[in-house]
Amino acid sequence: MNRIIDISLLSLAGGYLLLIFPLAIMLYLRVDMLKETAVAVLRMTVQLLFVGLYLQVVFKLNNPFLNLAWVAAMILVADLSILKGCRLKLKPFLLPMFIALVVSTLLPMIFFAGIILRLPGWFEAQYVIPLAGMILGNCLRADIIGLNNFYQSIHTNEKSYHQSLAYGAALAEALNPFFRDALRSALAPTIASMATIGLVSLPGMMTGVILAGADPFTAIKYQIAIMIAIFSGTAITVFLAIQLTVANSFDAFGMLHPDILRDY
Amino acid sequence: MLTSEDMISTDSNTAVELNRLHLSFDGQPVLKDLSLSVHHGHKVTLTGPSGSGKSTVLRCILGLVMPDSGTITILGEPVTRHNIWQKRRHIAYVAQEPDLGTGSVKQVIETPFSYRANAGLRDNLARLPEIMESFNLPQPLLDKQITRLSGGEKQRIALTIAILLDRPIVLLDEASSALDAKNKQAVADYFKQAQNTTVLSVAHDSEWLGFATRVVDMNEIQKT
Repeated sequence: MNRIIDISLLSLAGGYLLLIFPLAIMLYLRVDMLKETAVAVLRMTVQLLFVGLYLQVVFKLNNPFLNLAWVAAMILVADLSILKGCRLKLKPFLLPMFIALVVSTLLPMIFFAGIILRLPGWFEAQYVIPLAGMILGNCLRADIIGLNNFYQSIHTNEKSYHQSLAYGAALAEALNPFFRDALRSALAPTIASMATIGLVSLPGMMTGVILAGADPFTAIKYQIAIMIAIFSGTAITVFLAIQLTVANSFDAFGMLHPDILRDY
Repeated sequence: MLTSEDMISTDSNTAVELNRLHLSFDGQPVLKDLSLSVHHGHKVTLTGPSGSGKSTVLRCILGLVMPDSGTITILGEPVTRHNIWQKRRHIAYVAQEPDLGTGSVKQVIETPFSYRANAGLRDNLARLPEIMESFNLPQPLLDKQITRLSGGEKQRIALTIAILLDRPIVLLDEASSALDAKNKQAVADYFKQAQNTTVLSVAHDSEWLGFATRVVDMNEIQKT
């Protein structure tokens, strides 16, 4: 297999020309997204350039502690973006969400990289950072869907929640239907993508491994492993995120603290 | 102005006792020094114009709204943050326009009996056909989705659950507002014969008052 061909910076700059099509369509239909697009493209470029430079250093040093510190930083950023994405109050949720993300990222990662794939240096930057990143990115999405669904649904269906309490339900019993719905909606996208993977799209990781010059069958094995790790991570993270934040969100009477959800 | 029965008594004959409740929402006073006691087995109906805080009184008793000050005593014990969960197990509540969640009517009726607190009451479900019949609810309704039911049907399902739970105290918040005369009478007849059940209801329509042993105007029990 051939090694991957590097893209020269000049060619990459030329790649931005492809943006002409979405921009032209937006202008033609007067879709008011030009500024957003420009900011997003700029952010993507700057963020990835920085990550690229930083990762070069991390990969070169390949120090397990530095790798872990990088993963911890990724988790913290994910933590903050989830709370922002959920319109939840920051302070009381920061620690429980951090715990939920650490467990849901590290547990499936260590299991697959260390036990199933038996990667020789699974704690090496080359494996630990992309694997953690992929699991974490999916956990982030799942937590935003799950937490939003859970707390908003209790807020909008307050009457039926109160009715359950009035029927003698314990807090966990009254929250159960909302918990179930939140978990269902957070897991549905991963289940759907597992069911259609390979037919509808070639997943990013597999594409990356193939591009890097590996045998497609090796790429598929990695993809299966990562999909299971992601699915397991998303289930763990949503379960823990809700379980761990509930304690700070309801008073002794079982009422949702009114200031838990911002913008209401 | 307080009548003699409204005055606070500490005798064990009282099922629900509200003592000097104050509550404001956004600076607007809702309950102003409200006191009321309801004796065991009595059927008390609260009346008053809408917005006078009638429903809020029921929600306070259930611990769904916290009064700013005052005490609520249920079956001889003041309600606290520690015993509210246990107190709720003595009360059945039928909300105005009840929201019973989702699922089939049968599931909705059975859910409260899956709660640990109600584990000993599962046998009561054997009375379901009898109660449904007395409220003119046909059996095939059980397979329908609860969200497809009319307001009146939902009210009667909520009343059915309240009765099956067999609580000593029943709180009814305009629980017959969507019922026709015949069904209103059926509900009134049921509570009239339930001698050991204490009922505190909220209403403005006159038919509902049929089974009340006492009608209390909101203005009589708090400062105006």
